[in-house]
Amino acid sequence: MCTHHSDHSPNACQGCFSRRDCVKLLSLAGLGAAAAGGSLLRAAEAQEDVAPTDYVDPATLRPQPEVRFGAAFLELPRPYWLGWPGTTYDLDGHQKEYRGLLEQSAKRLGVKVALEPKPISDIEGVGKWLAGVGRQPPHALLVMLQEIHTWPWINQIAEESGLPVVVFAPVGTAFTGHVGRGSRLPHTHVISSLEWPAVEAAMQMVRAKRRFEETRLLWIRKDERNETVMERLGVKVRAIPRDTFNLEFDKQPVTSEVKDLASDLRKKAHKIVEPTDQDTVNSMRAYATAKRLLAAEKANALSMDCLGMVRANLVPTPPCGAWTMLQDQGITAGCEADLFGAMSLMMTSYLLDRPGYMNDPVPETYKNLLIAAHCTSGTRLEGFDKPPAPYVLRDHSESSLGVAMQVLWPEGQPVTLVRFSNANEMIIDTGKVVSNVQTPPAGGCRTSVEIQMDGIEDCRDVKGFHQVVVLGNHRRQLQGFCDLYGITHVRSPGQSTFAAGGTV
Amino acid sequence: MKKTASLLVLALAASAVAAADPVEICSPGLKPSQMDAEGRLVEDWAKVGVKLFGEGVADGPIRVEATKVDGRIPAAEALSPRGPVTLRWTAYRAPIWPVGVDVLTVRVEEAAGQPADVTVALDVPAGVQLGPRTARLGRRTVLTLPEEALKEQPLREWGYADEAATLAGWGKPDVKCDPAFRNIRAGMGGVPIVYRFSVTPKSAANVVLGFCESHWAEPAKRPLACRVEGATPQQVDPVAAWGRHKPGALVFAARDENGDGRLEVAVGPAPGASDRNPILSAVWIFPPGDPPKPEKVVSGALSAAAIRYVDVGGENDQSIYPPGKLEYRLKIPAGEARELVFCVACPGGSAPSPDSSPWTPETLRQAAAEVWRDWPQP
Repeated sequence: MCTHHSDHSPNACQGCFSRRDCVKLLSLAGLGAAAAGGSLLRAAEAQEDVAPTDYVDPATLRPQPEVRFGAAFLELPRPYWLGWPGTTYDLDGHQKEYRGLLEQSAKRLGVKVALEPKPISDIEGVGKWLAGVGRQPPHALLVMLQEIHTWPWINQIAEESGLPVVVFAPVGTAFTGHVGRGSRLPHTHVISSLEWPAVEAAMQMVRAKRRFEETRLLWIRKDERNETVMERLGVKVRAIPRDTFNLEFDKQPVTSEVKDLASDLRKKAHKIVEPTDQDTVNSMRAYATAKRLLAAEKANALSMDCLGMVRANLVPTPPCGAWTMLQDQGITAGCEADLFGAMSLMMTSYLLDRPGYMNDPVPETYKNLLIAAHCTSGTRLEGFDKPPAPYVLRDHSESSLGVAMQVLWPEGQPVTLVRFSNANEMIIDTGKVVSNVQTPPAGGCRTSVEIQMDGIEDCRDVKGFHQVVVLGNHRRQLQGFCDLYGITHVRSPGQSTFAAGGTV
Repeated sequence: MKKTASLLVLALAASAVAAADPVEICSPGLKPSQMDAEGRLVEDWAKVGVKLFGEGVADGPIRVEATKVDGRIPAAEALSPRGPVTLRWTAYRAPIWPVGVDVLTVRVEEAAGQPADVTVALDVPAGVQLGPRTARLGRRTVLTLPEEALKEQPLREWGYADEAATLAGWGKPDVKCDPAFRNIRAGMGGVPIVYRFSVTPKSAANVVLGFCESHWAEPAKRPLACRVEGATPQQVDPVAAWGRHKPGALVFAARDENGDGRLEVAVGPAPGASDRNPILSAVWIFPPGDPPKPEKVVSGALSAAAIRYVDVGGENDQSIYPPGKLEYRLKIPAGEARELVFCVACPGGSAPSPDSSPWTPETLRQAAAEVWRDWPQP
């Protein structure tokens, strides 16, 4: 049963029914007299009724898809004699260990695994297994190799199943050639390691893809209402008129939730520079409005033409502070209606379970660094369930309105920059936080972080715009996701493209 | 008697439809298209008709009506009995981002208990250029073709066999050179540019490829990987090699290595290229022997002497597939049916290219079903 949680974490209210039930129950319970404002966000049957006073539990907004794996051990008939992993390899012992680890990972991630009760030990067994999984297709297959000569079966599994395949080859079951060839198979991610966390990370990739597939993103811009589906990722993109947001914001009363959150925001700030009490209240009204809109549209993420709205003086506050809050709760909130910026935010949220921020990149040419700046960074940089980073309450620098956080990123820590150029290509770069840039003396956005890029000779060569900055070096995991789902991954050039001269 | 009565009913139905309204093909919020009373898809670029011919195939009335695919997706369906077979085609809007695409499924059902050998044809405008899996009108991809497409289609002597785009006037050579350097074809999204030329099987030739980079000023942006059958592959970075707006050429000692009587030329992005859209301006084929001097070829002085000279992306460039009707021969066992699935560009959009897009008939249908699940039916 939902209650008005004081802990606004994404994992609150796990025992709720469905989002629809939750919203309706709360509505019926009269959480703050339902009639206030009298507004219902019902312009089409594609929407649900949500009153301005309804409390929407953010946990119900994050997609919770069913994720199914088919799994099997592959071995040759026993006993082993010569050949890797060798006669001394304890097959039963290792399989018992991996079964246990698999069970724990499945439980931790909330996914279902159908593990073949016995190892598959010949090519006919592979065929039977694939025929069997076809009856209720899993979302991915996991094969755990127990003999180096089982590699040829991987081709058959990848080609015949048509499913993403995770191959776990514990050290002793693969050479370079096996791993290289296997890694080039379509929709295949090969782990050649003894490290089980790599397998769990691969399971997270599949779960992330399912989260994409179960996501409806509100694209709040222009004056159109339609719905399309993004290729490869499967995200449903529902376009709604930009005015929807500011009209609903106008109806948003200062509920107890809004008051509590606004007070919390100020209390927990490392420092408050510009925002007044009213600014923080308005910022949290924007947050409550966004949640209502998401619930009403049965959506899980949004990206809005915020600058256009501010330019037209339609709202007293840009949504920056509200977006930070949503990001911390695992709900993608993108800026400037940049659709692939939002998809990139979703990538860090769904795969890495932590927020990032999309940035305007600025090369700092004297120190050869990249400055990544925007006003909507999440604070729970190490994970949704981890303590937040310190933040300073600022206004939105470009308009001098409302609330935007300057989140203080930890100096010396690794970061990843990720950006979908389109649904078929991802830019991945990494670096290290050097410092937090203060505004002033600098202009530009409030969260502004100097980054020493890895393996990029000249900071002017960093690819992309609105790349999402996320704490930690996640290159391998992002690449693995791309490999499983047929996405090309590229990086910024290592060698300076300015070295050879050339003019515009 | 019964047969005559049914034919009469069909004829009546057909005549009734002739006066009927077209059936809309739509998806929530997207600009609709239509299927008209003759069963043609009415798009903003053409009216796409479906034809059927073959031994024993008769003319028949066409009945067009609104229907639902999978009981949920609004669609238009045309049905036409054609003697021993029945022709049925259905169209619905798949709501793929950003504006959707119309999915046309053409189904031929054998109804007389005899194997049938028929040909399905799509009527498309004469200007449509065919590639292996797509049809284009200018830069726009207007059709995605079924996988079995064009297998039995006759091929021209030479032409492109790829999904690249034609960009006439894109090149801005700032020196005196062959006019072909003003035009290009570009493989948007990393699609390789591929040409095939009829040659004597196993014969040799000198092949020259011409390039002119008129977008990037800096080197290392668009390095190209060039393959010519029988020759050592070469990579070139046009800006580094010749400069921006400077035409240049590479010479290859080619040979029809596989003896199929076709010489293949391909240009793709070099590994690590930041701009993955390959470009090509011209192809020359010269007799084997002493290779021609690239600067002379670039100047245009040798174009008339070439066995083959292609102004890539120019007026006389051509697909290796002849234009006109798209035809598919279907051999249908008794009592069975065969289907062909096409994607048809709808108003304001393009059809997806199979080279770069993962959409399949199954996922398109799933996308439509998912969107309609939460929207009111029209």
